[in-house]
Amino acid sequence: MTQFERGQLQRLRLHVLPTKRFKTYAISLFAGLTLDEATVTPVALIPFVLRRGTASTPETIAFREKLDDLYGAGFGFDVYKRGDSQIVQFRMDVINESFVSSDQSMLAASLQFLGDVLTDPLIDNNGFHAKYVDAEKTTLRKRLEAIVNDKIRYAAERCLEEMCANEPYRLHPLGKLDEIESITPSSLYKHYEEWLSNAALDLYVVGDTTLEEVTGLVQQAFHLKTGTPSAYSLPVVKHDVKEVKKVTDRMEVSQGKLNLGLRMGIGYDDDEYPAALMYNGILGGYPHSKLFLNVREKASLAYYAASRLDGHKGICTIQSGIEFANYERAVAIILEQLESMKQGKLSELELDQTKAMISNHLRELQDSAYEMIAYDFNSVLTGKQRSAEQLLEQVQAVTPADIVKVAQRVQLDTIYFLRDRKEA
Amino acid sequence: MQTLNYPNVQETLYREILENGLEVIVLPKEGFNKTYATFSTKYGSVDNKFSVGDGAPVQVPDGIAHFLEHKMFEEPTGDIFAVFASQGASANAFTSFDRTVYLFSATEKINENLETLINFVQNPYFTDANVEKEKGIIEQEINMYRDNADWRVYFGLIDALYHEHPVHIDIAGTAESIGKITKETLYQCYETFYHPSNMLLFVVGGVKAEEVFELVRANQAAKKFKPQGEINRFFEKEPESVKIARKVSELPVSLPKCMLGFKEKRAGLTGEALLRHEVTTKLMLEALIGPSSKLYQQLYEQNLISDSFGHEFNSSPGYAFSVIGGDTPDPDELIGQIRTAVEQLLKTGIESAAFERAKRKKIGGYLRMLNSPEAIAGEFTKYRFRDNDMFDVLEYYERCTLEDVNQRLREHFDFEQLAVSIVKQPGA
Repeated sequence: MTQFERGQLQRLRLHVLPTKRFKTYAISLFAGLTLDEATVTPVALIPFVLRRGTASTPETIAFREKLDDLYGAGFGFDVYKRGDSQIVQFRMDVINESFVSSDQSMLAASLQFLGDVLTDPLIDNNGFHAKYVDAEKTTLRKRLEAIVNDKIRYAAERCLEEMCANEPYRLHPLGKLDEIESITPSSLYKHYEEWLSNAALDLYVVGDTTLEEVTGLVQQAFHLKTGTPSAYSLPVVKHDVKEVKKVTDRMEVSQGKLNLGLRMGIGYDDDEYPAALMYNGILGGYPHSKLFLNVREKASLAYYAASRLDGHKGICTIQSGIEFANYERAVAIILEQLESMKQGKLSELELDQTKAMISNHLRELQDSAYEMIAYDFNSVLTGKQRSAEQLLEQVQAVTPADIVKVAQRVQLDTIYFLRDRKEA
Repeated sequence: MQTLNYPNVQETLYREILENGLEVIVLPKEGFNKTYATFSTKYGSVDNKFSVGDGAPVQVPDGIAHFLEHKMFEEPTGDIFAVFASQGASANAFTSFDRTVYLFSATEKINENLETLINFVQNPYFTDANVEKEKGIIEQEINMYRDNADWRVYFGLIDALYHEHPVHIDIAGTAESIGKITKETLYQCYETFYHPSNMLLFVVGGVKAEEVFELVRANQAAKKFKPQGEINRFFEKEPESVKIARKVSELPVSLPKCMLGFKEKRAGLTGEALLRHEVTTKLMLEALIGPSSKLYQQLYEQNLISDSFGHEFNSSPGYAFSVIGGDTPDPDELIGQIRTAVEQLLKTGIESAAFERAKRKKIGGYLRMLNSPEAIAGEFTKYRFRDNDMFDVLEYYERCTLEDVNQRLREHFDFEQLAVSIVKQPGA
């Protein structure tokens, strides 16, 4: 397959994948900084304010009209955690001009747009535009308050918060509610300046273009600070659990949300990572996995029962929605599955099925521009160079003994339950 | 095998209707590793009263199409997910108002996976015990949705809009309605709606069209299907008015969720007229209340809406309604301001510039959708079951005029036809 071509402009790393496979240009900009209580909230607010207007297009309505004029270019941002970093990702998805009657380069126009958003914001009196800061503080506050609305996600985040109570990872990527009020247009602008000077910055473009073309366009469109790119720091994934933490929250819910947090002690850059992927896949990654079969199909306790591996933090989480009264039974069944993994009760069928599913996923991601970007970005985050093809080979080579070794390192850390308000 | 070229989007489709009535469509995507296939029946949650040929009409329990979807995955040999997993395929299924779709995506063993998909959907296996066991699982699925505020406000709105049409019934049914489902009712629905003549197989990705057709032809030729009479679907007459003007539910939420729905008085459009109607309405809504509209900015600046605010339009021959809304601190103020703005626009009409931008946005969005095999298969099937061709949508967007959109604006926004659904904090 084609490879990303790499370049660099001041503090920005460039990654370009020339391909004619898609009808679009896919653009992603990642800006990452170590999660820190002091900066997490203002950094989360920055993209909200940046997407309101730029120096050249100060009015939000005109700013959005520009996107419509680019044939409804997709533009959005996200703030999330990877390892112990807080990452702000801007995304653009714009149609290749050959499909529409346009004489302008959609790629040039999109990079100009993104460059303006990131490096040429609307400034008044040495600060961001006050009206936008105020409005977006409200938006951020609403977003943080809305976490509770989705009970499945809320329970998953509460579980991680309890589990990582003494680590930066406890922080929500959107920051803390009580830190929002004191942010001012000028304090936020200072944070923005520091963020641009310190964050690791990576720009990805996938589409019918070249590194040369992108480099030229970015040079014109981005007012970059001088310097060299920053690297990401690796989180500590080794963690010794002294005692299993049990937490129950109560709220008006119809269904109990059960979440378990496991410490894997293995990170993306570790050689055991392919075996950890297999561990998660056999345990609960798929509808053929132990959790689905035993919690759902055999016991009829749940509609969903699955596990998810966060390789950047070395954590595996289990989630299921159950009747309140079935808490003990569900926990017992889940713990049995963890134990059977340790005992090496792994059938050849489970192994083959899981290898086939992981391999399929690794091959499929080549069909999506954003998935290719996300996969490649793992290497930037961890410094570990491992192509999808290499990971696929390593997964194929995992033995039952490798998985048991992983299972024996896995430590249950936290059992979290969200249930109704009635006392049992 | 028929070849259909769509030069404006640089795609080619291959199509054939087999002897037993099954329609097969293949869209090869050069350079793609993945193949994505959907096997769909034109049978969804609304099809709860029907007859075949001259037979007597049958009424079945709510939620049965979805229940049937769950049960199809069980075969005498075990769970079909395991077979797909062994063949490296990721499989799934879903039930909507008017269709049930079984699907897989895979990068290898495509022939085996296609055979598995077709065979498991064409091989029902229901027993008293496996039907009972599924009830516990589906009850948990129903409970999961009950806790989901977005789902509650959305389905609350449809329930407020429709008196009789089964679109207002929960797709999964209720614990009570699924309690009535037996293996006999499942077989009856299966025999009716899973006949090949009511189904569509769509294959998109790194495949060669002729190979797919050979495989499917041979697979189907080896099976016997009794010819089937026409399926008749019965719907009670739906009054023009909305059922409930305002429906409020309580759940723990940080801000109220509020959705406005306008019910079209005149449903019953089919074919081209239905498609034109849908495209025009979607363009009108985008120009009126999309993120770059004056109204959106006005509401956002007053803190009445947030990024969750959006709009959509749903139409089929049996029902048609818009949905506008999101999180808001003050549902009544939001409704009032939307009403004032719409009434003002009814006098002046939508501006030409806003219309042109909305049009560009919709065309771009449509073309971007074509990058995704999943979206292509999904959209194609949805339109096909309504006797439309998804690849015509682009042309309809291009042909739509400002006059069309302004006429649609005047027809659609009748405040007598408005229902509102709100989910708010208990006691608030």
